[in-house]
Amino acid sequence: MSDKSSRRQFIDRSFRIIGFLGIGGAAGVLTKRASSSAVYQIDPFKCTSCDLCRTSCVLSLSAVKAVNDFEKCGYCMLCPAYMDVNSRPDEKGIPTGKVCPQDALKRRVVGRVDLEDPNNNYYEYAIDETRCDGCGKCVKACLPPAGNGSLRLEIRYTRCVECNECAIRVVCPDDAIVRVPVPGMAPTADSSEREKA
Amino acid sequence: MIRSRRFRPLILLLMVLASSALFAQYQRKPPDFGGSYSFPSPEHPEPRSEWVRLLDVGMLVAGLALGTWLILKRRSRGGVMLLSIGALAYFGFYRKGCICPIGAIQNVTLSLTDPSYIVSLSIVVFFFLPLATALLFGRIFCGGVCPIGAIQDLVLLRPRKVPEKLDRALRWLPYLYLGLAVLFAGWGLGFKIGAWEVQAARRFLICEYDPFIGLFRISGAFHMLAIGAGFILAGMFFGRPYCRWLCPYGALLSILSRFSWKNVQVTPDKELDCGLCADACPYGAIHNYRADRASCLACARCYEYCPREQVLRGAGDEFVQVKLP
Repeated sequence: MSDKSSRRQFIDRSFRIIGFLGIGGAAGVLTKRASSSAVYQIDPFKCTSCDLCRTSCVLSLSAVKAVNDFEKCGYCMLCPAYMDVNSRPDEKGIPTGKVCPQDALKRRVVGRVDLEDPNNNYYEYAIDETRCDGCGKCVKACLPPAGNGSLRLEIRYTRCVECNECAIRVVCPDDAIVRVPVPGMAPTADSSEREKA
Repeated sequence: MIRSRRFRPLILLLMVLASSALFAQYQRKPPDFGGSYSFPSPEHPEPRSEWVRLLDVGMLVAGLALGTWLILKRRSRGGVMLLSIGALAYFGFYRKGCICPIGAIQNVTLSLTDPSYIVSLSIVVFFFLPLATALLFGRIFCGGVCPIGAIQDLVLLRPRKVPEKLDRALRWLPYLYLGLAVLFAGWGLGFKIGAWEVQAARRFLICEYDPFIGLFRISGAFHMLAIGAGFILAGMFFGRPYCRWLCPYGALLSILSRFSWKNVQVTPDKELDCGLCADACPYGAIHNYRADRASCLACARCYEYCPREQVLRGAGDEFVQVKLP
């Protein structure tokens, strides 16, 4: 009986040691490769604003938001991303419908204001992130030639919960969700190479 | 390093965007607005700081440590229940079930087969730490820390036994699922037999077909929510159907916990041979008054029903209230 149990113990112990060595080795190999400072981001050149960011994020309100690059924005009165150009125009010929289903794209008049002719004025467009659900309709509408292409979709790190696999990345038809090093963190060998180039 | 050029850093993307000549033909110079208008710069919030991102790892370590103590030392069913409620709240509902060792199988596989895939450090820890714990103390992760296990454990109201033969047969399913998941995560599928050709890209099957994730997020495709509801319903009568008969990480843990150093022991010195523990175990893991290390899910129900356990804990010298499972 004791013979049997000591043999059993020996087998147990040997397998335990083998197991630990295996786990330790594999963990070591992966830790070398792993990065504690990589986050998901959307590659704007690949993104086609397909609406899956809105539906696939694990958050009920997607962590993907539209962002306006003010340097590129035309500050137009007739912004194709703001008003739905296909909707019924009012008596002045200005479309009445809005592109954003959530009414998250807000605008305010800036600079010198011409009170008589609103077409003479410039507007600053900003996204209300508490409303934006990342559907990308405005991004699509702003694409050249209709717009300047100043809007794009971005994963907002203040909201992203950093799943171990981004649920949007899994479904993204354009492979537009990429893993990027955290800005300002220790640069990888790859990025220093690029700086030289 | 052979990290692919596909992974351009964010900064580079933004710089390229800002100075791009691609759209130059459409871009007009920012007009002079008059007045005193200065261009706001678009906000790009920085990722959360390192310690917040490592909080998950901290919670996992704390959960495993607490679970080990509660299950092996305190032998307290109530404690394990509280721990699993906590795990369900944090890993399940707060983290939306999306940082988990079960899914990490695929991240780890993919990072081994595709060197350009950057796996995050917390995933590595999430994958290996519960495995190491299983070698030492058995399936503590299943018992108290896994949110998927917790949600099934908490709905188990009317446990029924499953015929042992059926149980044994079904226990092979996790290995099959594990194989499939590893195959799909690492390589995808592509073969040709005669005129019959199969092509499938890499995909993460475990995450895609996780029945409980929809419940954690309170959203999802209808069929997945329905399957989740089905699992919950079945879980009311049969202990943890997902964990026992499907979970691929459970398959790994059950292999390792066969050789565990310590494990759940029903009254270590002598037993009463009353069999209440075996009746109480909803997972059919107690044979001959001994907990089977491979299939014991460390829920601590056996302690709750053991009369000797109550004597040991000083419940009373004369009367022991026997609870019938």
